Amino acid sequence: MMKLMHKEAESHDTTASADATFRVRNLNVTARGKTLLRDVNVSIAPRQVFGIIGPSGAGKSTFLRCLNRLTDLTPEIRVSGDVRFEGTSVRDPSVDPDALRARIGFLFQQPVVFPKSIIENVLFGVRRLRRLSRGVLAEVAERALREAALWNEVRDRLNDSALALSVGQQQRLCLARALASEPEAILMDEPTSALDPKSTQAIEELILKLKERHTIVLVTHNIGQARRVTDWLACICVRNGAGTVAETACCDALLENPQCQEVVEYLGSGSSLP
Amino acid sequence: MRRASNVIFPALCGVCALLACALLVGLVFVIAQRGVPALSWTFFTDQMRQVGSAGGIFYNLLGTLILIAAALVISAPIATGLALTQAVYLRSASARSRLGLFLYTLNGIPSIVFGIFGFIVFVKFFGWGKSWLIGGILLALMILPTVTVSLIERIRALPRKYIEAATGLGLRQSQIIWSVILPQSWSGLITGSLLGLARAAGETAPIMFTATIFAGASLPHGIRESPVLSLPYHIFILAQDSFDPGVGAKLWGSALVLLMLVFALSMIALPFRLRLHDEAHA
Repeated sequence: MMKLMHKEAESHDTTASADATFRVRNLNVTARGKTLLRDVNVSIAPRQVFGIIGPSGAGKSTFLRCLNRLTDLTPEIRVSGDVRFEGTSVRDPSVDPDALRARIGFLFQQPVVFPKSIIENVLFGVRRLRRLSRGVLAEVAERALREAALWNEVRDRLNDSALALSVGQQQRLCLARALASEPEAILMDEPTSALDPKSTQAIEELILKLKERHTIVLVTHNIGQARRVTDWLACICVRNGAGTVAETACCDALLENPQCQEVVEYLGSGSSLP
Repeated sequence: MRRASNVIFPALCGVCALLACALLVGLVFVIAQRGVPALSWTFFTDQMRQVGSAGGIFYNLLGTLILIAAALVISAPIATGLALTQAVYLRSASARSRLGLFLYTLNGIPSIVFGIFGFIVFVKFFGWGKSWLIGGILLALMILPTVTVSLIERIRALPRKYIEAATGLGLRQSQIIWSVILPQSWSGLITGSLLGLARAAGETAPIMFTATIFAGASLPHGIRESPVLSLPYHIFILAQDSFDPGVGAKLWGSALVLLMLVFALSMIALPFRLRLHDEAHA
């Protein structure tokens, strides 16, 4: 049975690439002569939660940042290979990286709220990306906050400082800010690692709800979380001094019956306990 | 031996610190002692009379404030552009260090050189004559390095996560500058301006040939041939005449007012500097 599912995983990986949201081929990333990622191949199908697990420092975050070209912010990073979003190469000269990032939401490890009010934080991106009237902006803010399950908690204090919110609320505020501009995909870089269990649960429930309309790529250290929310998993491990995808499979198959020695070792180590 | 050095070295440091504090206190004490008798309400509201031996310093103080304000307004946009070039636009480290070197060189130019430069370029070449605006421009040039470096430090101290978050939302660099970088670093501009002005406000050399005269000016009426009176130049001229006891009292009074003005500028800058300090350690 497990063997079969792995087979499916492989066939999924090759055949689904035509309509994949993200398709990564031969991705190599170097910084100052050191190879961070080598020969990464991944296809991420639409409207699913694609999890990325692996040991610390293997390059999970770097991979995630290649998908929306956030790596551009670090001048010493060199990226080669083919990364496609909705069929278009993200590094094509005709692609505007800012427009690309506007279509892909990003959630960081630590919530990043601007020292402004809650409402200003929600609308921070969307009111600069699109010309919307005040009335429409108010609707957008309410929709985004509802989608992030934060509306009921903040509806009476939209003009209060966002810094007064708890860390868990701040992370949902960041999610609302990303959702406000209606992204097609959302990249999450260990979004719950700074949160308490209750806030973590809230984010996980949101992820399951959001995948109905969005493709979600989730980097996580928490194997339990991977088991609860992801559909497909890739394990990025260090091989010959550089990170690479050791194994890709559907979630249960990879966690229950890993085929690759590095993945077995990673899952067997203490950090991977749910 | 070691114990002795543990005592002697701190003691030496303490003596140096005491010496510096004593100098400052002594200076302020002497100026206050001689200047306070000249201070009165009319000293601030009355204009100078009898070649400085009577009357007040209304137009001198006003002229200095005009020069300061002009320098502030002129330097702010230039410093902002320079700081953004240095901290945001320039990606090569060598280009950044060259611009840094330029700023330090500019900071080291003697004030009298600025005065001569302004005299040749504006007074002679452009034919403006003495004008408050030339003084403002020269003082702006003088404080430019201080303002720019202060703003650069503030931008550099800005947590990288804000830039990443705004970039991740799809904002353009120009939008990030206006919505993230400048709103969170403008206090650096204020601090640098005030500290720069605290030095520049007392300078005589850059304005004596270009912007200020001793008597016969009130409010500026235009740009060409429109000098102002000023405190530093007033003190400079009175000091050459101070054997007259009436002039002496006015001289010390003016010096005290200039000193208070400069202290005030430093004091206003203090909360902004403390805020920077707090955030750096938050």
